[in-house]
Amino acid sequence: MSKRPPPDPVAVLRGHRHSVMDVSFHPSKSLLFTGSADGELRIWDTLQHRAVSSAWAHSRAHGVLAVAASPWLGENKIISQGRDGTVKCWDIEDGGLSRDPLLILNTSAYHFCNFSLVKKPKTSLIKDAGGQSEDSNEPDAGDTRDVQSTDESESSVDDSGLLQGRDHAEGTTYVAVAGEQPTEVEVWDLNTGDKIIQLPQASPDNSPNDATKGRGMCMAVQLFCPPESQGFLQVLAGYEDGSTLLWDIRNAKIPLTSVKFHSEPVLSLSVASSCDGGISAGADDKIVMYNLNHSTGSCTMRKEITLERPGVSGTSIRPDGKIAATAGWDHRVRVYNYRKGNALAILKYHRATCNAVSYSPDCELMASASDDATVALWKLYPPQKSL
Amino acid sequence: MTEMIGWRLSTEGLRFQRLLGFCCLASFIKIHFFCLYVASDWLSCFPISVKKHLYDVFFLDGPVIEVVQVLVPFLHRVENGGFDTNSVQTNVERLLILCLLENAGLIKITKEIGDSYQGDISRNGSLKSLLSRLSQILTSIPDKARLKSPPLLSSHLYFKHITDQLLQILDDRASCTEANSTVIVLSFVGEIFSRICRRGLSDLLLSRVTPHVLAHVRRLLNSKMGSIEMETFQLDPTPQIWSKTMKAVTDPYAVEKMAEQVLHQLYAEHASDVEAFWTIWTLFHRNVIHQASVRSIFVDKFLLWKVFPIRCLRWILQFSVLECPPLTNTLAKGDVVQGLLETTQRLASVWSKGEFLQSVPFEQQAYITAALGLCLENMSREELDRTKDVMHSILQGVSCRLENPGDLVRKMASSIAFMFSKVIDPKNPLYLDDSFTGNAIDWEFGLQTAVGGVPSVTNTMESEDGETKTSASLTEVNGSSRRDKEKKNRKSKNISDFVLADPDEIVDLATLNCETESDKDDDNASVSSDNSSVTSLEPYDLLDDDKDLGKQFTHLVDVVGALRKTDDVDGVEKAIFVAEKLVRASPDELTHIAGDLARTLIQVRCSDITIEGEEDSAEEKRQRALIALLVTRPFESLETLNSSLYSPNVDVSQRIMILDVMAEAARELANSKTLKPKDDSRGPLISSISDPQPWYLPSNASTPWKKVSETGSFHLNWANRFERELQSKPGQTKKGKSRRWSLKPADRDQNSTDWSQNRFPLYAAAFMLPAMKEFDKKRHGVDLLGRDFIVLGKLVHMLGVCMQCASMHPEASVLAISLLDMLQRREVCNHPEAYVRRAVLFAASSVLVALNPSYIVSTLVEGNLDLSRALEWIRTWALQIADSDIDRDCYTMALSCLQLHAEMALQTSRALESTGGSSGSSTGSVNISLPSVISKLTSINIKLPSSNVHL
Repeated sequence: MSKRPPPDPVAVLRGHRHSVMDVSFHPSKSLLFTGSADGELRIWDTLQHRAVSSAWAHSRAHGVLAVAASPWLGENKIISQGRDGTVKCWDIEDGGLSRDPLLILNTSAYHFCNFSLVKKPKTSLIKDAGGQSEDSNEPDAGDTRDVQSTDESESSVDDSGLLQGRDHAEGTTYVAVAGEQPTEVEVWDLNTGDKIIQLPQASPDNSPNDATKGRGMCMAVQLFCPPESQGFLQVLAGYEDGSTLLWDIRNAKIPLTSVKFHSEPVLSLSVASSCDGGISAGADDKIVMYNLNHSTGSCTMRKEITLERPGVSGTSIRPDGKIAATAGWDHRVRVYNYRKGNALAILKYHRATCNAVSYSPDCELMASASDDATVALWKLYPPQKSL
Repeated sequence: MTEMIGWRLSTEGLRFQRLLGFCCLASFIKIHFFCLYVASDWLSCFPISVKKHLYDVFFLDGPVIEVVQVLVPFLHRVENGGFDTNSVQTNVERLLILCLLENAGLIKITKEIGDSYQGDISRNGSLKSLLSRLSQILTSIPDKARLKSPPLLSSHLYFKHITDQLLQILDDRASCTEANSTVIVLSFVGEIFSRICRRGLSDLLLSRVTPHVLAHVRRLLNSKMGSIEMETFQLDPTPQIWSKTMKAVTDPYAVEKMAEQVLHQLYAEHASDVEAFWTIWTLFHRNVIHQASVRSIFVDKFLLWKVFPIRCLRWILQFSVLECPPLTNTLAKGDVVQGLLETTQRLASVWSKGEFLQSVPFEQQAYITAALGLCLENMSREELDRTKDVMHSILQGVSCRLENPGDLVRKMASSIAFMFSKVIDPKNPLYLDDSFTGNAIDWEFGLQTAVGGVPSVTNTMESEDGETKTSASLTEVNGSSRRDKEKKNRKSKNISDFVLADPDEIVDLATLNCETESDKDDDNASVSSDNSSVTSLEPYDLLDDDKDLGKQFTHLVDVVGALRKTDDVDGVEKAIFVAEKLVRASPDELTHIAGDLARTLIQVRCSDITIEGEEDSAEEKRQRALIALLVTRPFESLETLNSSLYSPNVDVSQRIMILDVMAEAARELANSKTLKPKDDSRGPLISSISDPQPWYLPSNASTPWKKVSETGSFHLNWANRFERELQSKPGQTKKGKSRRWSLKPADRDQNSTDWSQNRFPLYAAAFMLPAMKEFDKKRHGVDLLGRDFIVLGKLVHMLGVCMQCASMHPEASVLAISLLDMLQRREVCNHPEAYVRRAVLFAASSVLVALNPSYIVSTLVEGNLDLSRALEWIRTWALQIADSDIDRDCYTMALSCLQLHAEMALQTSRALESTGGSSGSSTGSVNISLPSVISKLTSINIKLPSSNVHL
């Protein structure tokens, strides 16, 4: 087997004056959003490799923690999360950021957990639009009723809209984030700006919930909507002690399952577009690929990869589900074959800790963000263009 | 006419002789009076040939005992009577040579003794006293002889002849055993031996005796090939004769001298262990058995006080301690081990004492160490357990030696520890030192080459604290860089392999694309299935090294932070490796962080963070970083260093490191070059006679002289070697080589710039004063004057380096007084450890070099005598060291110190002359005060080789 030297980045985007904390591609346009630790949010053109605009999305002292764009959010909207306890939703007008955010969610959360938008398979998007999957699973419908009832008892606001995945097609979208109590995960409605639910649900006597007791802060969260759950949201949350909990939003008291793949805090959780598995990594020297079985509600380890140097702060799976990448503390971006789990490349460019990696929706580009204030664009294993 | 008289006289003489022949022995004495007193008057006018016939025969035929007794007193008797004393003495000398030397007088004497010996006890007493008197007379002949006496009577030749005769007597006695007078003869011979030794000629005596005995021993050994029994020697007559003779030598002093000489002679004869043992045994075994004093000579004096070659030491141990004949080449142990145990105990108790280490010359230490080691070699575990406190003493001695700065001392400790561990557990020897492996120990410790010749200075201070370490670590660095290069080569080979195999990446991508194309349908069909399409994702080279990870520190704050996190070993190591570069860059933040950085660098323990064998590179990096810090921000970092120097939170090694670093930084500051505006105000501070060059450089040079920097032991560094660049010849032109970006500003070029070579004087006080302030205070964990003498030595050395670096600057003169105050402390300058004394000598020499003569002159003119007193102290003290110090390095350094003092004195007197001349012409008041100062000066301060100071 011939060995090729690992490729260099096709482009390096410079301009940030501080660590770049997160990176996200526009769902359809050739735009890239990056947020840095000094609060700057930049928009780049990925064809010309130039900055399109720059704005102070969050205060200089707090900085941007995460940025995200999503097809379900809309073509001209992005959201950003700051360390100032807010999540802001922005309008992109003629390539620039709106002067004021469209919406500010005051989560009052000052932690290290990146928020997560809903991820769902493209097929399910189509299906949702068609409205086909409602009647397929009758037993689940019973569960749904139960949860509905509990939700009604807790907070009777708009819960049917929340829980029915079909409504997402109409522009409703949600964001999950670790809450004011860092052990809790909160789900917010981005249209109304309200908190929908918190996991675990606070018990009446205010005693700490058994499910999250002793697990520490929530460090990573991933919101997704598997096709099997009729559009009901599920949440994967990684905790400080290295455990990962899978929640179904219909049952906010007890998680569906809990596994512990890591010995150190879980820092990044990704779910593949097909929602049947994902990849998780943390402060220890392991990367875990797991399967999600929605019929049994279980999460099983598929492959464990041991690293030479511990610490991964970001993971991403390419939308076509072929390869996955990790952003390591050791300045490396590592690329893996997502199916088989073998290592494909170790990319050395950054000169400081890497914070995030992200794939473009067309699978062509990968972007990595680092503490050295640069964003690198990579082209590895480009997919065959569909004819 | 004379012939006729001669003939007549000779016939008379014949008659006279015939007459004498009838005389009996009793009348002999009366007749010789006549011969000497009466006849000398007229004999002197006869020619020599006549004299011979006249009465030589008379003396020759007479009993030698009487002849000697009669003649010897006339050797130096000065008569004021009418006799011609000169001719009497000449005659006596001639007769003595004739009787004693040329005609084997001693053999005759023994025969006469044998004849007169009756086996009668009552008469033996008088005979003994007679023989004792006789031996006294015989051995005193060379002393009584005049200066003009014939060479045969000079002590050397005379005793050589006497000794040869004595040896023959002993041989005769050995061959005929039945003579019952043997005992008295042997005691006579012994008496003469002891008197010869008393007269300081034991070397001559034994140079004849030893080969004689050794030859006999060799004969015996050859005849009894292989099997040598004690009986062989006990039954053989010659050894018996010899031992009886030696038993007659009752004077312990003589025995000691003889034994010493035997050892040296045997060494010179290259005797084997067996031969040497039997020779010594033959000569001394009876003395050792019967005389306690002789025994103590061997067991005490020869082991503890004298220094012999190591082979002699083995013989001594074999003979007096092990008390049994040796095997071919190793020491053998007899059945009786009591002596061995006692000796070992005594040696160990002496060896273990710290005072012994401090007060005894090096050769002797090595000797006793060897003795102890050889004793231990012959002991078993059980025997060691039987001794009282050998184990304790040895452990104590080893531990106090291991702390010593001298290499050889540590080597002694490790050798003894090795032997000791072999006694305890033969299978598991303890190697304290990496350098020696295997079983053989060089007990001579390489001293043999040094004895007598030029001392090979192996443990001078410089070699300990500077050059060797850096050179060692530099080779280390070279080694590691070579390794890196190899690694790189290997890697580049790998890369070239890839290039050869697959030079074009696009090709690969194309194939990848093709395959993914073929897989695509499959992918779409069954997303979740783990199909074979993924094989198309061909991995890149996964080679990963962490070379780039080390470069992550870009701010000194990060470095300090990483150094504080002692649990993160990699971080600390990286921080140390990057620290020097960052400090040298001298960022603005350095001013604020210098103190913190210095403290953390001191506290880091390099041995903890590196793997074994690579401590040196980290340690060196740490020290380099500290030096850089001291050079770039002296005041800020010195504050921290000085406070931690005496703080209880650091250990001895850290204190030593601090002092090393300060010395190195001082050197670097002194040698640094900075472009700085010319400072005109500095001129008047230095008096008119002082050139920009030091006074000891040749002054008639058009280009400045530079001192040739030399490495090596530091007192050799004082040698004045200078070099300069010669100006080019008038016709010669040099073409410019440099390229400049722009023209230099004209004004800077012309008048205001100056390469200042020495930045150190500005900081000299900050370097020296705080360190000197509290050195003598005993605090928790700090005891410079006592336990931590190495720190004291390093401190004094560092101060000396500082003085050198500030030399010829006004600051040096001010600091010199306080430094000399410190050195004059009795606890410092007369410290029991030679290491400290060497450092003090170095510092004193540095002061002598550093002082500007004009300053000394000005203090003298002002009437301030502190400095001159201190300088005079240096001279007397150095003289005292040169006279009496046991350490050879101290001695040589004291000599070079004295030389420097003389040079300084000369220069000062010259400066004084010129100052006196100028001041005399300008102001009268100074002129008046000068003579008194000069008289003080010449009496107190400067001993001039030729005083030419007249005012």
